[in-house]
Amino acid sequence: MRRTKALAVIVALGLALTACGSPKTKTSGSDAPDDINAPRKQGGTVTIANEQGQTWTCQFNPFNPSNNVESVGFVYEPLVFVDLLNNQAETPMLASSYQWSADKKSIVFTIRDGVKWSDGQPFSADDVAFTFNLMKQFPAIDLYALWTGAGLQSVTASGNKVTMSFAQAAQPYFFNFADQVGIVPKHIWSTGEPASHPDTWADPDPVGTGPYKVSPCSANNIQYVANTNFWQAGKPYIQKVEYPAYLDNGPANLDLANGKAQWGSQFIPGIKQFYLNKNKNNHTWSPPITNVAIFPNLDPSHAATSKLAVRQAIASAIDRKQVALIGEGGQQPAANQTGIVTPTFQKYYDASAVSAAGYDKPDVAKATQLMQSAGYSKSNPLKLTIITITGYTDWDASLAVIKQELAPIGIDLTISDLAQQTFDDRLYNGDFDLAYYGEPSNGPSPYYELREIMYSKNSAPLGKQANSNYERYLNPDADKLFDQYATADETTQVSLVKQMGALMLKDVPVIPTTESVDWFQYNTTDIGGWPTEQNPYAQPSAFSIPDVEQVLLHLYSKAAQ
Amino acid sequence: MKFLLRRLGFFVLTLWAALTLNFFIPRMMPGSPLNALRARTHNKLSPAALQQMLTAYGFKPNQNWFVQYLDYLGNMLSGHWGISIGATLGTPVSKLIGQALPWTLGLVGVATILAFALGSLIGTVSAWRRGGKVDSILPSVFVVTSALPYFWVGLLLILVLSLWTGGLLPSDFNYDNSLQPSFTLPFIGSVLRHAILPAGTILITSIGGWILTMRNNMITTLAEDYVRMGRAKGLPNRQIMYGYAARNALLPNLSGFAMSLGFVISGSILVEYVFNYPGLGYLLYNAVQNTDYPLMQALFMLFTVAVLLAVLLCDFATAWLDPRARAKG
Repeated sequence: MRRTKALAVIVALGLALTACGSPKTKTSGSDAPDDINAPRKQGGTVTIANEQGQTWTCQFNPFNPSNNVESVGFVYEPLVFVDLLNNQAETPMLASSYQWSADKKSIVFTIRDGVKWSDGQPFSADDVAFTFNLMKQFPAIDLYALWTGAGLQSVTASGNKVTMSFAQAAQPYFFNFADQVGIVPKHIWSTGEPASHPDTWADPDPVGTGPYKVSPCSANNIQYVANTNFWQAGKPYIQKVEYPAYLDNGPANLDLANGKAQWGSQFIPGIKQFYLNKNKNNHTWSPPITNVAIFPNLDPSHAATSKLAVRQAIASAIDRKQVALIGEGGQQPAANQTGIVTPTFQKYYDASAVSAAGYDKPDVAKATQLMQSAGYSKSNPLKLTIITITGYTDWDASLAVIKQELAPIGIDLTISDLAQQTFDDRLYNGDFDLAYYGEPSNGPSPYYELREIMYSKNSAPLGKQANSNYERYLNPDADKLFDQYATADETTQVSLVKQMGALMLKDVPVIPTTESVDWFQYNTTDIGGWPTEQNPYAQPSAFSIPDVEQVLLHLYSKAAQ
Repeated sequence: MKFLLRRLGFFVLTLWAALTLNFFIPRMMPGSPLNALRARTHNKLSPAALQQMLTAYGFKPNQNWFVQYLDYLGNMLSGHWGISIGATLGTPVSKLIGQALPWTLGLVGVATILAFALGSLIGTVSAWRRGGKVDSILPSVFVVTSALPYFWVGLLLILVLSLWTGGLLPSDFNYDNSLQPSFTLPFIGSVLRHAILPAGTILITSIGGWILTMRNNMITTLAEDYVRMGRAKGLPNRQIMYGYAARNALLPNLSGFAMSLGFVISGSILVEYVFNYPGLGYLLYNAVQNTDYPLMQALFMLFTVAVLLAVLLCDFATAWLDPRARAKG
């Protein structure tokens, strides 16, 4: 979601449209949480405004990572939906239930009866087994490395049961294989081009079990119509979904502001004046999902940033609330040093540990002292360069605040804006002192992001591409925590994550500054049933798959009632 | 004949050099298609799977460069342009170009022709009445506007004619999303309305050059004996102005016009970017952003061929029109 071109355009014109509004997040008051699951009448249209930066290619292959946001959730469904925002609450979809073995090395799914593909053919356990075995045959479509990384060994169907066996405990991968993989029909994918090239097949007219069908698709607009064969009686309520192509935030935001589109999923600069004040039915709720952080290079060859005192000083000196308020215009909340995103993952967060470590509020005196112990002061400052991505103007603004806050403790920060490609290369290869970056990966608990950041297997020597541990944090204690997580029960998992947070406080491998959010704006004039802060039944942005299906199944038109 | 052969030989040599550069320069850029795809898929997916996916679409980073280069030359000439490995992963490049080309030709092509025609007309008129009202206002105004950067004029037009008028003129895209492409009045009207601002930007910034050169040529031609002769014979002013003077004054400008027609196909990247116009320029921008080698290669080749062909045709036309070129060539 390239998010800053419109901002740059407006800034270039010298308009003051981007003046920061009040940081309060507005939530909907029109849907009482108790009536959200009440049955509704069918009818109505919803229009999505989600900038893609290109026109549609009208390919719906769910295994193609470039366009699965247009098919998974709309047409293809997962086995189980896992709600990241609501303590991993599960909604059975194509599997009506499942059972883990005691050692969590095998799982048996009971497949739902009475489900039909949108072309009228019956759906069965065979289709599920077929989908996963297709991934074994064609590793290119095994996007989550289930057969190679997660240790999947076999997937078999018998009756209405599907059994998956793994070489090791596979509970952390449940989110990937049950929630993220869309099931495809065997009767279509086992013959002709989809059978010989499931990775490159265009799938222009997708057949799925989901609530919508594509009819028609053009370069400028995808129109989805309700699938009359859908297995949930009476659903979906909304009969038509329009998904126009937007090349830029500007026009998408304009359509949201004037009500032409009801469902927005990108950054709106100056949202209060531009969007919320335009219509009393315009609302926004953007829940935090992951962190944006300073990644210091921990490799010993980088003398300053591999020194713990320097990192502690930076973590103490930064006033994260100011960074969120000024840099992000109050549209993203401040992060904390544990790297556990709050309030989304509140139950894993140990507030007392944070204040005991002294990271609950900025402490310039302590930071100055730490810098002195490392041999630096305001008169003898440490010169550091932080790399960031050109065009991310909100990050530039955040870094300007950070630069200001680090100057008094004796750090002279230089901000280096790099083109995306150059930035990626240097980040992956560890060619930086400090990097400003947000791990884009997410999962239904903080474990997933922390594993990206801290697990040593995700690291690599300098000069080699690391998977996600870009700061090169190598700590056997941390690895042990991640290895235990797979087989642990739920209470132990919570305590393990808390210990990971404690390591973040102790070793300061990265320094989270703000929390990046799932951008979401919605209009309630005609459409009701949106996810809200009180009822976070799914991730609300239109590009979250497969969450988009849950939102679509809740939406209804007030005019049709 | 020798002249034509030499020109053709030069054309082939330049084409080869350009194609070779097209192959190597994108590969020397920082970044790789794999990293771009990783960033775009939010790093959720395993790099090994992504690498295999790109390989399935014909991306072979580990193959010998020389083999790749020979394959590439063959494919470019035979029209097998491959499959996009960027943001439009999996779409054939020829389909992407086919979708974008008509919009660029329509917008930039028409705007270029209009700028040439209008500029030449204004230049003719202002030279004919030197010091008159037209001459004292239009050339100087347009010379100033053609010095302004494209994107700045575009932004200004958006601000004044779209934002301040509450969206009177659309400021982006090629037609209204709610319409399906068809030969109906609302659709054609929508296409035209969406073209006004970007076409206006191109017109405003390119017309000045044509006015100035035409006016200068015209002034020189007006001093020629045959013009005086025409006047002495008492021909009507209109006939002298267009038939005697303008017709000859236009010749030097024609070669410049042919060149600029060659550049039409590369679009006006900045104009298409500012107005989010889904033409070839926008496509190229996206291809570079996502390190999409096949798409970049095909686009650069098209641009090169278009310019070279325009120059070649212009050479032939000059040879045909002007005996001096043949004699010296």
